Amino acid sequence: MHKLRSTARYNQPIPHMRARELTQKSSGLRLCWLTSFLLVTVFLPAPLCASSLGDTARQLAHKIAAAAGPGAVALEVTNRSSLDEKSVREVRSALEAALHVEGVYTAKSEQAMGTVEVVLSESLREYVWTAEIVIGSDEKKVAIVSLPRSPTGASFSPALPIVLKSTLLFDREQPMLDIALVEMPGGSRLLVLDDSTVAIYRRQGANPSGRWDLETSLPIAHARTFPRDLRGRLLLRRDHLFDAYLPGTLCRSSAAAPLTLTCTDSDDPWPLAPDDSVRAFYAASRNFFTGALSPGIGKVSNVPSFYSAAALPRTNYTLWTFAAVDGPLHLVDGITDQTIRGAKSKWGSDLAVVHSNCGTGTQLLVSESGDKERDGLRAFEIPDRDPVAVSAAVEFNGRIVALWPESSGTGAAAIVKRKDTGWYEAYRVSISCGN
Amino acid sequence: MLQSAPDALEFPASTANAAPADYWDMTRALSLVGDTLVKLDAQGHLQPALAVAWQSDASARHWQFTLRRGAKFHDGSAASPAAIAQILGALHPGWNVRASADPVSIDIDSETAMPSLLAELALPRNLLLKRSMKDNRIPIGTGPFLVAEWQPGKLLRLAASEESWAGRPFVDAVEIEFGKSLRDQAIALELNKADIIETAPEAANGSHGHNASSSSSLPVELLALVFSANSKAQDPRLREALALAIDRKPIQSVLLKGAGEPAASILPNWMTGYSAVFSSEANPQRARAVLADSRQPALKVSYGLSYDPRDPQAQLIAERIALNVREVGITVQVSLSGAEDIRLMRVVLPSPDPATSLAEAARQLGLPQTALPTPRGNSLDDLYQAERSLIDGYSVIPLFHLPVASEASARVHGWTPDRLGAWSEGGFSLADLWLADPEAGSR
Repeated sequence: MHKLRSTARYNQPIPHMRARELTQKSSGLRLCWLTSFLLVTVFLPAPLCASSLGDTARQLAHKIAAAAGPGAVALEVTNRSSLDEKSVREVRSALEAALHVEGVYTAKSEQAMGTVEVVLSESLREYVWTAEIVIGSDEKKVAIVSLPRSPTGASFSPALPIVLKSTLLFDREQPMLDIALVEMPGGSRLLVLDDSTVAIYRRQGANPSGRWDLETSLPIAHARTFPRDLRGRLLLRRDHLFDAYLPGTLCRSSAAAPLTLTCTDSDDPWPLAPDDSVRAFYAASRNFFTGALSPGIGKVSNVPSFYSAAALPRTNYTLWTFAAVDGPLHLVDGITDQTIRGAKSKWGSDLAVVHSNCGTGTQLLVSESGDKERDGLRAFEIPDRDPVAVSAAVEFNGRIVALWPESSGTGAAAIVKRKDTGWYEAYRVSISCGN
Repeated sequence: MLQSAPDALEFPASTANAAPADYWDMTRALSLVGDTLVKLDAQGHLQPALAVAWQSDASARHWQFTLRRGAKFHDGSAASPAAIAQILGALHPGWNVRASADPVSIDIDSETAMPSLLAELALPRNLLLKRSMKDNRIPIGTGPFLVAEWQPGKLLRLAASEESWAGRPFVDAVEIEFGKSLRDQAIALELNKADIIETAPEAANGSHGHNASSSSSLPVELLALVFSANSKAQDPRLREALALAIDRKPIQSVLLKGAGEPAASILPNWMTGYSAVFSSEANPQRARAVLADSRQPALKVSYGLSYDPRDPQAQLIAERIALNVREVGITVQVSLSGAEDIRLMRVVLPSPDPATSLAEAARQLGLPQTALPTPRGNSLDDLYQAERSLIDGYSVIPLFHLPVASEASARVHGWTPDRLGAWSEGGFSLADLWLADPEAGSR
């Protein structure tokens, strides 16, 4: 692509290419302004604001006036879209006001020179407003305007006590399974796990928005064929740098430089908590845990097969939450296994626990699968047995393909496959206290 | 299981005699074997497939596509720019397709502007498939499955490709049985002899006692009346009267059992948002008034209405239309033989891109493709004008937009048929499903 741009032969990049160009300029790490932009766009809900409705109404009024000419018309507005009643009232008011400016007045049909029937409709992509204009015995004329739909259809939500903050760390075309940020002599390092390597990137300079340069790449040798929906986990260790868990394969890094990676076929259980207090067996040919725990949680050593789990500390015990393969959320306290079905109606299959100074001090990050194109994350607390949302959703421009808690417990790593470019982005998700 | 019984694993060369089922079935089968350069989702957003980047010049006559590195055909050969260029060039002799100077790209040039090239390349007919010369032209692609056995018209056995660029499919193999009626398919599902079947859209709306999950696509087919070139009904006023006489709602609620949407436009509302300006309301009173102005002696002439006998609902719908128009004074004879003045046709709207679907529908309906808009312009006004120009002469009378439906057994997990009916929208293809172990109950 660099070569292409230098030829200046192609000069009209489509939106997809613009996205690619951004990534190429920063060579894997986008610039600070992009992160800032993303934070702004993520944290400000993007419903249709009154000004965009008003602007579109004025466009339609202009087209109606051009077709009808000055005079009085009978105006009828019908809503066949997902706009709410308040928005429809705003559109009608804006339309009447704009028509008035153009010299077209609304009147009862018996006093009008013609009729204007406005339909507020929508396609999958945009709101589409049509006006059928009939003046006297003239042929019917049609005016059409459109307005992009909010990507999520989200509306403003009440203030919540916790704010989720997502920071783009890294992106690339190849899939990523997990990442880990490590502070080391000589600067920060980013470990990136995929199906064939653990790549180690070094940040250039002290600037947090500096680019990441590949320092070394440690190959993963494995005898078993990995499943299609591959998952993997990076865990930082005290006595050596990291372990990498892949289905049927365990890789352990060396403790000292030069860094090496030793991989073996292994069905050992994967740690569910940073302190390894609970481990679970992973189905080597699937994308979930079998449900067998080792050691167990109190008296419970088997739970239903699950995709992810998170531990919520309580005063006298730890409440474990499991996103089960069969749908519901399971709450396991060491004695009982309680199923919550309703809570997971919008929940995705990824859970991660994050410790903060807000609320109860421990929040559950849960992926939300709104549609096929954009996933989100929302923080919950479980004060009793029912999850309560404590943050607005932070949304990503694609699907969350992995969500793992950081080894430090103060954040989580989310890997997102972008809808528009197909690239993979790694985010650090952390929690700030709201109002 | 699928309805059609194709002799070859190829899209029908001519759409004149192809039923929509032939199109969907071949799309569903070949999409498992091959990839297109790009994909379009239901909202018209582009997604990378075998190409990961693309761009054009301002005239949209020169395009360049960067191919995915490391992708291989099932015969082990690389999906190189030269190989891809050769396949695309053979599919489109009017294009100049060649490998670029760099080792990962292809160039596509044309004498005329190709603003809708991306939507065109996303169509299933542009799946990038090599053909085996020694083995009955069996397709060899880069998709998640490779052809293990092909019995023309009967059975296609696919095996998981271990080297699929998107990862190995969860299931080891897929068997597609062709030539099964919808009834046979439903019985097979009930008896656990099939995991995924096609079904009638109205059946997908109902409840099921065997825990199967059914789903319908967005409306992706158009049922319409088309006037043949030598039709006796040449007067536009007569045609308008006929259009006004048809009461679509009872047909939809009774004969189509609630499936689909009454339509007076070629494109469905989910693509354009403006279909409200094409009224589908019956107006027999106005039909009689329009007929009175017609120069054609409608009362003295009987018009032949034919239909596709493979379409199980077509005959009843045609007879109902004949009844409707008779009430305003137009005589229509429903018949499969004799002179054909009007044909009841079901056509596929193959792309979520409205301009591409409009052009495709016009081609299938035999309408002139004049001044069709381009997606690059993306002007709703242009699109509306183009659609209006196709409909205004009443060469075609749109009747219904219809979905396609499918049903999966309870042991199928991780799969949702996509909203476009092809079973292959990003992330939801058969390669992503897995089957529960019957020994393990719900898992």
